[in-house]
Formats: sequence, structure tokens, C-alpha cells
Amino acid sequence: MLVLVLGDLHIPHRTSGLPAKFKKLLVPGRIQHILCTGNLVTKETFDYLKTLASDVHVVRGDFDEGTSYPEKKVVTVGQFRIGLCHGHDIIPWGDPEALALLQRQLDVDILISGHTHKFEAYEHENKFYINPGSATGAFNPLEPKVNPSFVLMDIQSSNVVTYVYQLIADEVTVERIDYKKS
Amino acid sequence: MTPLPSPSEEQDRLLEEASHIVKTQSLQMKRCLDSDKLMDALKHASTMLSELRTSLLSPKNYYELYMAVTDELRQLELYLVDEFQRGRKVPDLYELVQYAGNIVPRLYLLITVALVYIKTNSSLKRDLLKDLVEMCRGVQHPLRGLFLRNYLLQCTRNVLPDTPEDEGDQAEGTVRDSVDFILMNFAEMNKLWVRMQHQGHSRDKERREREREELRILVGTNLVRLSELDSITRDKYKKLVLPGILEQVVSCRDAIAQEYLMECIIQVFPDEFHLATLTAFLKSCAELQAGVNVKNILIALIDRLSLYAQKNKEFNSLFETFSEQVASIVQSRIDMPAEDIVALQVSLINLALKCYPDKVDYIDKILQTTVETFQKLNIERVEYNTPVSRELMRLLKIFIDQYNNILTVIQLTYFAPLMELFDFYGRKSVSAYLITNALNNDTLVPTSESVDSILTIVSSLVQDQDDQPAEEEDPEDFAEEQGLLGRLVHQFKSDVPDQQYLILSTARKHFQAGGKKRIKHTLPPLVFQAYQLATQFSALREEDEMWSKKCSKIFRFCHQIILSLIKAELAELPLRLFLQGAMTIGSIDFENHETISYEFISQALSLYEEEISESKCQLAAITLLVGTFEKMSCFGEENAEPIRTQSALAASKLFKKPDQCSGVCTCSHLFWSGKNSQGEEIRDGKRVLECLKKGVRIASQCMDMSVQVQLFIELLNHYIYYFEKKNEHITVAMLNQLIGKIRDELANLESNEETEQISKHFTNTLFHLRNRQEGPPVDGISYEGLTL
Repeated sequence: MLVLVLGDLHIPHRTSGLPAKFKKLLVPGRIQHILCTGNLVTKETFDYLKTLASDVHVVRGDFDEGTSYPEKKVVTVGQFRIGLCHGHDIIPWGDPEALALLQRQLDVDILISGHTHKFEAYEHENKFYINPGSATGAFNPLEPKVNPSFVLMDIQSSNVVTYVYQLIADEVTVERIDYKKS
Repeated sequence: MTPLPSPSEEQDRLLEEASHIVKTQSLQMKRCLDSDKLMDALKHASTMLSELRTSLLSPKNYYELYMAVTDELRQLELYLVDEFQRGRKVPDLYELVQYAGNIVPRLYLLITVALVYIKTNSSLKRDLLKDLVEMCRGVQHPLRGLFLRNYLLQCTRNVLPDTPEDEGDQAEGTVRDSVDFILMNFAEMNKLWVRMQHQGHSRDKERREREREELRILVGTNLVRLSELDSITRDKYKKLVLPGILEQVVSCRDAIAQEYLMECIIQVFPDEFHLATLTAFLKSCAELQAGVNVKNILIALIDRLSLYAQKNKEFNSLFETFSEQVASIVQSRIDMPAEDIVALQVSLINLALKCYPDKVDYIDKILQTTVETFQKLNIERVEYNTPVSRELMRLLKIFIDQYNNILTVIQLTYFAPLMELFDFYGRKSVSAYLITNALNNDTLVPTSESVDSILTIVSSLVQDQDDQPAEEEDPEDFAEEQGLLGRLVHQFKSDVPDQQYLILSTARKHFQAGGKKRIKHTLPPLVFQAYQLATQFSALREEDEMWSKKCSKIFRFCHQIILSLIKAELAELPLRLFLQGAMTIGSIDFENHETISYEFISQALSLYEEEISESKCQLAAITLLVGTFEKMSCFGEENAEPIRTQSALAASKLFKKPDQCSGVCTCSHLFWSGKNSQGEEIRDGKRVLECLKKGVRIASQCMDMSVQVQLFIELLNHYIYYFEKKNEHITVAMLNQLIGKIRDELANLESNEETEQISKHFTNTLFHLRNRQEGPPVDGISYEGLTL
């Protein structure tokens, strides 16, 4: 089961669109679910995600004004409960201990958050945390250099293989991280 | 009473009768031939041929009869050739058949016999050909005449002399004789064909024209025959053949004939011939009847030759010739519809782009001609989705797609005037197309001048228009097209930071004129570009001693833009832009950056206090403000302290109790990981505790027990968070107290799904504590005395 995780696209506020090399990789029909950490900003970006997979879950980012996306969401895929939130209201931003608070509240195996525009994937107290970064490499005042990135999770019952796609110096790099539910 | 037969039944019957006679007569003819009774055979042949005298058959049925008859006639021809070759004298056969009673059978027999003569004795060829083509004039009935001459053309197909004029034998004839022969036959056939138009009742006009269409191939065959003559050189074609054809085409003054024959010429003769006679051909086009679709003829020719010229680069004047002639044709045909004129220009553009891809001035010339055409026609505005507008759209899209570079497009002097021809919807459609092209090709626009040109050209999207309809547009469509503009901003990009500043200023002037409903889409991208530009200047501090002043200037620029969004009655968006700006400023240590950053933060706070009223939005805003401030380290204590206090105060004044509780918890972070101007966390444990205690107090006031327990668990987690961060003011006793309280209250909640979630949260929290308590010590934190 392929799950695409991405967010913080910020089109058109901070960038004109997804990198062409990512667009080429993201073809319709291969992905079953999309989990988006928000900041799509416009409806067209949501419509675009809908062309890639019919099951699209979005939570609200700080620049998703006038939308009805929820703040937080829990989605079950395979044996995993996956929590999804943008992360701008988890303070300090990106802090693992603060995110752990939300993990306990949502009672999830995997917690996905965004906002920092910086890719992260780590295990913390047996739970898995993912931040897909910004799929467009959108500007962030706190990050001097943002590489566009997104994550593809291959979920097989209690296993998840995470592939991280990053665009570094106009080349796509892929990294693999395994996580097994204990 | 039997019903009257329908016309088609009647036709079938007539054809059947005639075919029957043909069958019987041909059978008898063949019997006579078998027994060498030539005279009798000729008599039966003549009777058979007489069937072709009918005027009752439709062209289609007449054609069938003709095929059947001429098929049988082959038997006679074969017999005669055979006899001649065996040396048997058939004296004066040519004379003999002339006594056939009627002209139609007589001429068919004559042609058949003459062919036998020519085949056996080629010295008669020249005279006989001349004789035959003249004699066929005797049949002036259009249908009969056309088929008779077609028979002549068919029979002579393989015997036409095809040797150059100066090499051939006089008696056998040269290619010149063939040309004369075919041209005459062509002229006569065309006249017969045209005459069909004028026979019969005017109510049958439509049927007649349909029948003429069915017969046109007979006339066209003459041109095919001409094209098959190998000895016709380019020169001969130019001097002899084409003038002969064109004279007949022009002088017949019949639209159907002209349109078909002109296209026929283009099809059958080779490209080299057309290139050599372009002017003559195009001049004739100008002389054609008003009803002729000259556009199609020209487009056929242009498309054909542009393919050829693309492969053979030496034809430099092709474009000039075409554009001149097209202009004069357009001028001579005052009734030509505007869409047809534009369609011709489309063809010219295709030619120019295919053959001369580097010549941008050719495209400009075509655009100029198009603009002038509309001036002459007194058309100021072209309505969207009409044929003219669609053709114009096609014209523009062709080179936009070919260049795939918006910068090349804006170099065209006549692009903007041409845009002006479209009405509001047309201009918007072209604008969107142009911008999408720039985005898809990732075209960067590197100067403020180009930005100015582009935003002027796409002004129908940028600001209100004089001819804009009064009704509101569909909000989704509007947001989508404004989104295009927003995306375009990121293509405005110079490597030179000073130029980039000019670019952004220019863009701002355009967008600022867009009014309330547009600026919320177009200005935020400018603000973010400006923030990025400031960081760029910061990186260049070694090379540009003015960098600090320039950064100040950029943030003043952004400040103004954001204020204009506030004037447009927006609050959420400007608040967020101010916070993003404050962080950007905070990360660049230019002169005065603390003051300016403070201004941005305090603007955000004022927006929060004055403009944001909905409780959910208030909590979101204060959380965002705290999150932002927690990350910043540019403030001295005298600026930081009021913001911290103000935020905490604002949080405690939120409308709903649960929001107050979350708010104060959030604010507690300002006193712990919030930073001083050295970038160190301030870790004011006492004030953190004050915040949390306040949270507990507020939670206790909640009437809804389920909400209260939920808040207590959240508070417990915050206590744990700080406890594990080694805040000395948080003690195990406090944790124990909260845990006990939650346990008690939880037991009182009625069991339902929500309670289950709450207790799960609590279990998870305790599980975490247990792990820490039982596991190896982390950071030397002691959980001693904790009762789980």
C-alpha cells in the first residue's frame, strides 16, 4: 500500500509550483492514499493531489485560510494508526518532546507533521515520526536553504518502509528508512 | 392502380433497359467479329453506342452505362488492331465509320478506329489527334460531351507524344502537340461542365451542383494527364501550360470550377513548378469569382510549399511573395470574412515559423497586417468565441507555443495592439494562456522592463477593465486565474539583487491597481519574494556596503504592501505575513533590525486585538504569534518582555475557558525556550509554573467534566514536559496531585467513545512515565516518589 506524504507547498505564495522532476515521479494510479500536512493555499493544489489518488487527507496549515480542513486527523492504514497535523500549533515548532505530547493524545503509531520545511524521520519511544518537509522547497525564514522533499510510505501490515525523495542541486535523491510496529 | 415509380426506381429501370440493349448488341457485335463480318459488327457497335445518346439518366447511371459500353468497345479495338497487324487491309475504315447515322456513336467509333490507326501507323498521330479533339466539338450536350471527351482522353492516354519540341518527329508530334491537345480538350470539357450549371429550372440548383461535384474528376483528369508528361519542363509549365489552364479557369467565371481546378493544380503539379509560378498563380487567385473560397486555395498552397521550403532552404523570398500576394488578394476581395483573412495569416505564420524560425520580424509583420486589416474593416473589438476570435486565438497560440518563451513574445511590437482587439474574455483567455506557457517552460523574466511589458499585456487579469461586464465572476474561476498571476511572480527573477528590487517595485505598481479582490492573491507572493531578496542582500554584505540600508528599504516596502492588505479589510493574511516578516528580519542583523522586527510583531498583535474576533481564530492567531516569538532571538529584554506579557495576557482573556487553558499552556513556552538577544533560552521556571497553575485554575472552572478532565490531562503532559526539561519548580508532588485528580474525575465520567479517548490519552501519558521511571535514567531526572 503506497501512501504519499507531503505538504507545505505554499503555491502561489512562495513558489510557482512543484519541481518538474517531482511532477514526473508523481503519476496517477500508483498511490493509494495521500496524507498532506497542509499549506496547499489554493484549491488547485488540492485538485492536483486528487488527480494522483482519490483518497486525499489534508490538515489545515497556517496559510490555508478559508478552507474547512481539520486541524488534526487520524487515519488507519494497514495495522497503523497515523496521526496527521500541520504542526504550527505544536510549540516549540518541530520539538520532538512537544510532538510526543500530541502522539499520546491522538494515540497513534506514526505521527506526521510539517511546518518546518525540513525533512525528518525518526523513532521516539517506539513511535515513528515523519516530517515530509516542503514538497516545493518553499521559503522559510528560519531555514536558510530548503530542499524540496516528500515521502512515500510503503505499508505492509505491521511494516512500513519509508522512502524520502529530496531534490538536491536539481537531482532527485532517494533514501530508505524502515520501521516495524512493536 | 399501380403507384407512380419513384425517381430512383425510374432511373434504375432506365439503366436496366439500356444495359440490356448494350448486352444484346455487344453479343451480336462479337459474333459478327468472330465470323469476320466487320460491317455488321460496326452496325451493332453503332446501335450499342446509340444508348449513350440518352438524356434521361443521372450522371451516376450514365457513368455506369458508359463503363459498360466502352468495355465492350475494347473488343472491337482489339479485333481491329489484330487485323491491321496481320496486314489485312481494312480500306478507308476511318472514312467508313463516318457514315454512322448519329454523331454520338460516330465519334466514339471514330476515336476507336483512330486509335487503331495511330497504334499501327504512328506517322498519322499528330494530325489525327488534332482532328479528333476538334471533331468532338460536335457534341455540345454537357453530360454526353463530357463522357465522350473523357473517352478520348482515356484512349489517347498511352499514345500522347512526349518528346521535347526540338527532338520530335513532325508527323508523330511532340510534347507541344500533346499540350495543345489536352488544353483544348480541357477547355472544352470545362465549358460543358460549367454549362451544366445554367441548364434546367432554378429550383434544381442544389441537385445540379451536387451532380457537378460528381463529375468534376472528369475535368480534372486533363490536368492529371498534363502532369504526367515528362517533357514538360519548369520553363514550359510557366510559359505554356499554366497560363493556358489559368486563362480557362479565370475566364469561365464559375465558382465551383475555379475552386476545384485551382486546388487541382496545387495537387497535381510538383512543388518546383509552383515555386516558379507563384506570382502568376496568386494573381489569378485575386481574379477568381466572389463565391470562391480563396482562403482554402491559398492555405493549401502555403502549407504544401512550406513543407517543401523547410527541406530546401534556398527559397528566401517565399514569405515575401506570399505575404504580398495574400495582401493584394485580401484587398481585392472586399467581401472576404474577417475570420478567413485571419486564417490566411495563420497559414503565413505557419510558413514563417517552419521555414524561417529565427525571423521574429516576419511574425511581427503578420501581426501588423492583421491589426491593420481590422482597422480597415473598422472592427475595434472581437467578441469572444466567435469564428473571428477563434481564428485570432489560433494565430496567437501558434507562435506562443512555437517560441515557448514569453520574452520573445513580448518583443513583438504588434502583439499588444493585437491583444487589444479581443474583448474582455478574449484578452483574459490569451493572458492566461501566455502565463501558463511561461510557467510550464519555467521562463524567467530578468528585468523590470520585461515585467512591465508582461503585466501590461496581461492587464485584463491584473486590474479592472473598461469593458468588463458588471456581474461578478465565478469566485473559483477568479481565484484560479489570480493564482496564475501569483505563480508568475516567482518567475520574475534577476540574478542581480538591485534589479530584483526594481522588478518587485514594478510588479507592485501593477498589482496595487488591482483592487481589494485581487491583491490578496497577487501581493503575498511579492512579499515573500521581497523577504527572500533581503536574505540575499544579507549574504552579499561583503560586496555591497549598502546592504543594511537596502534591507531596511525592502522591509519598509513589505510593510506598506501588508498595510494595503489591511486596508482591503483583510486580517488573517496580513497577520501571518507580518509574523513571517518578523522572523525574516530577526534572522538578518542589519541596522535597526530589532526596531523593525518589533514593529512587525506589534502590528500583528494589534491586528489580533482589533480585527480578529472569532474565538477559534483568536486562539489560532495567538498560538501562531507565540510560536513565532518563541523562535526569535533579536529582541532585548525591554522589547521582549512586553510581548511575552502581552501574549500571556491575551491568552488568558480568550473567550472560552478551554481556549484560555490551551492559550496559557502555549504561552508558558515563551518563558522557557523563548530566547534572549544572545540566542539563549531564558528558562524562567517560575513564570512557566505560574502559567501552568493558571491553566489548572481555568480548567477547574470548566463546567463540562469531560472537557475538564481532558484539559487536566493536557496540563499533566505540560507539567511532565517541563519536569523532564528540568524545570526545578515542577515537582513530583505536583505530578502526583494532578494524576490523582484525573483518576478521580475520570472514574465519574459516563462511559462513551469520548471518555474512552480521554482515558487512552491518560494511559499513554502514564505509560510514558512508567517507561521513564523503570527505564535507565535520562538526563539524571529522578522520578522517585511518583505514584502511578
